[in-house]
Amino acid sequence: MSEWLESAITRAQNLNDWLAPKRAHAIELLTQTKWPTRKTEAWRYTPLRPVERTKAGVVSGDANLSPESITGLEAIELVFVNGRFDATQSAKELPTGLLVSLGQDVDSAQQTVALNAFSTIKPERHLFGLVNDALAEDVILVSVAEGVEITQPIRISSLLSQGAESHTRVQVTLAKGARLTVIEDIQAQGDTLSTAFVEYDIAADAHLDHYRFALQTGTNVSIGGSHFNLHDKSKMHSSIVGFGSDLSRLDTDIIHAGEFADAKLNAIYLLDGKELFDLHATVEHAMPNGTTEENVRCIVADRARAVFNGRIHIHRDAQKTLASLNNRNLLMSDKAEINTKPELEIYADDVRCAHGATVAEIDKQALYYLQTRGVSRSKAQVMLNFGFINELIDLMPNAALAEWVRPIIRERFAQMEVK
Amino acid sequence: MSNTNSLLTIKDLYASVEDKQIIKGLNLDIKPGEVHAIMGPNGAGKSTMGYVLSGREGYTVDSGSVTLGGQDLLDMETEDRARAGLFLAFQYPVEIPGVSNLEFLKASVDAQREARGEEAITSAEFLKEAKIACKQVDLPVSFLKRGVNEGFSGGEKKRNELMQMLLLKPKLCILDETDSGLDIDALQVVAEGVNSQRSADRSFIVVTHYQRLLDYIKPDFVHVLSGGKIVKSGDASLALELEAQGYAWLQNAPAEDELEG
Repeated sequence: MSEWLESAITRAQNLNDWLAPKRAHAIELLTQTKWPTRKTEAWRYTPLRPVERTKAGVVSGDANLSPESITGLEAIELVFVNGRFDATQSAKELPTGLLVSLGQDVDSAQQTVALNAFSTIKPERHLFGLVNDALAEDVILVSVAEGVEITQPIRISSLLSQGAESHTRVQVTLAKGARLTVIEDIQAQGDTLSTAFVEYDIAADAHLDHYRFALQTGTNVSIGGSHFNLHDKSKMHSSIVGFGSDLSRLDTDIIHAGEFADAKLNAIYLLDGKELFDLHATVEHAMPNGTTEENVRCIVADRARAVFNGRIHIHRDAQKTLASLNNRNLLMSDKAEINTKPELEIYADDVRCAHGATVAEIDKQALYYLQTRGVSRSKAQVMLNFGFINELIDLMPNAALAEWVRPIIRERFAQMEVK
Repeated sequence: MSNTNSLLTIKDLYASVEDKQIIKGLNLDIKPGEVHAIMGPNGAGKSTMGYVLSGREGYTVDSGSVTLGGQDLLDMETEDRARAGLFLAFQYPVEIPGVSNLEFLKASVDAQREARGEEAITSAEFLKEAKIACKQVDLPVSFLKRGVNEGFSGGEKKRNELMQMLLLKPKLCILDETDSGLDIDALQVVAEGVNSQRSADRSFIVVTHYQRLLDYIKPDFVHVLSGGKIVKSGDASLALELEAQGYAWLQNAPAEDELEG
C-alpha cells in the first residue's frame, strides 16, 4: 500500500458522522486493496506517481473561489469549494419537484434511505471510488419528483485552490418520467488532488442529460466517476470534455438495469504537453432491448498520452441489445501516445454490437497547401481537423453549453503544434 | 544584379531536401510586371525552387538570400510569404476532402485581407466574386461546393489553382508546370487567365518543361535551370531554340550535379 493511501485511511478513520457505516465498509475494502502498479490492468497506462507525490492536502478556511459564469446558461448552482459544500454560493430557491439537500441535514429516516442507495451504482472495483466513499463528508442528495421536468440545468462545480485536496460526492435520483440536466464541472488551480463521484439513478421513462467538463490542466490530479443506472425505457445522454493534466482519470459506468433503455455517451479530449487523460467507460447490458451508442474522439499533441478503455458487457439475458462503440483519434506528434482498447464481452446471441477505433495523423501536405494561400497554421489545422470534434459538440443537447465550450476546445486545438 | 526596383531577388541560393542539395547557386532578379519562364530538364530543381520560396517543411536553405519587395522572404512563415504577395500554383494541387472549395477560398482571402489591414469581405460579396472567377477559368459554379480539389481532373485542379490566383491577386505568381497534363483547350483557358492578370505590378515565374505554354504566355525572359542554377538566360527566342535542340547542349554542370526526378 502507498503512504498516500495509508494516510487517507487514517484520516477517514477519524471521521465520525452519518456516513460511518459506508465509510467503514470502504476502509475495509481499501485495506485489502493492493496499490496499483503497471501490472494492474485498470491502471496499466496511467501510473499513480502523481498521486504518490502530490503536494495537495486538506485546506481549511475561505478560498474565495467562484464558478466561472457561462453565457446564456441559467443554472441551478451547487458549489463545492475545496471539498466542502458552499451554501452561500449555491442555489437557495429551487423549482417545484426538485429537492437538493446536504446529507447531514436530513432526518435519520432519509439518511437510512440514502445510505442504502449509496455506492450501489458505482462499482466497488474503483479504487478512488472507495477513497471517495471513505473521505467525502458533504454528500449532496438531489432528487426530481415523478413526472417533473426541471428545465434549468443543475451545475455541480468543484472548485479547488492551490494545494487543496477535495472529495466530493453527489447522489442524483430521477423518479419515474422525470427530466433533468446535470453539469459536472471541475475548476482547479495548481497542485491539487480531487476525487469527484456522482451516482445517477434514472427511473422508468426518466431522461437525464449529463455533461462533465474537466478542463483543468497542469499539475492537477483529478480522478472522477459518473455512474448511471437505467431503468425501463429511460434515456441518458452524456457529453464529456476533458483536457489532460498530470493525471486525469474518469470512470463511467452505465448499467442497463431495465429494458428498452437508451444510453448515449460522447467524449472529447484534447491533450498537450505531457498531459494524460484516461477514460474507462463500462456499459453493462443486463436486460434485453437496450441501446448504447458511444463516441470517443481525441486529439493528442506533443508527448501527451491518451487512454481509452471501452468495455461493453452484454449479459446472457440481454437479447436484442444494440450497442456501438467508436473511437477516433488524431495524433499531432511522433511522441504523442494513444492507448485504446475496446473490450466487448457478449453472452447473448441475438444482439448487434459494433466497434471501431482509428488513429489518424495531421495531413502535413494539406496544412502546407492552406498556408501557401495565407491561412495561418493554427487556422489551417482547425479547418482541416476540427470537424470530427465539432460533430460531437453539435450533438450536445444544450445549445448554450455547446457554444460556450466550442471556442474553448477550438482555441486549445489551434495552439497545439504539429511535431 | 539586384536593385531597389526589383520585386524578387534571389542571390546565391543553395537549398537542400533531406540533406541532398538541389539548388546550387541560384540567382534571379524579377522586376514588377515581368514574366520569366524557367525551363529545364527533369530534376533540374524547378519545383524545388517553388517549394523553397514558399517555405515548405523539409526544404532547407543552406545559404543565400531571397527578398520579395525588399523584405527577407526566407525569414517568414509560409502564410506570411503568401500574405506578402507570393503565390505558388502547384504542379500537383492537394486534395482536401471535408473542406469546401468556397470555405478554403474565403479563408485564404480573409487571411490576406486581414494581414493587409483591410475590412473583411461579407460571405455574399465573396460568393459573387468567386462565381465570377469560376466562370473566368471555365469551371462550373458547383465546384465551389465540392471538397478542395476532391475528385477534380488534372485540368480542373489547374484551373482551380488559377481561380485562387484570380481571387488572391498576388504580386508574384509562380506557376509550377501548370501546363503539365493539360489538353490544348485547357491550356488556352489557363493562358488566357494568366494573361488577363498580367499588369505592371504583377510578375510571373512560369516554370515549364515544354515550350508550348510560352506560345500562349509570352515571357519577357527565358532562363534555363540545370543542376540547381541558371545556366543560360535570354529572351523568348531561347525557348524556341531549346525546343529545337533540347537541353543536352546546356548541361555543362559536373557529373555529381546529376539530380533527382
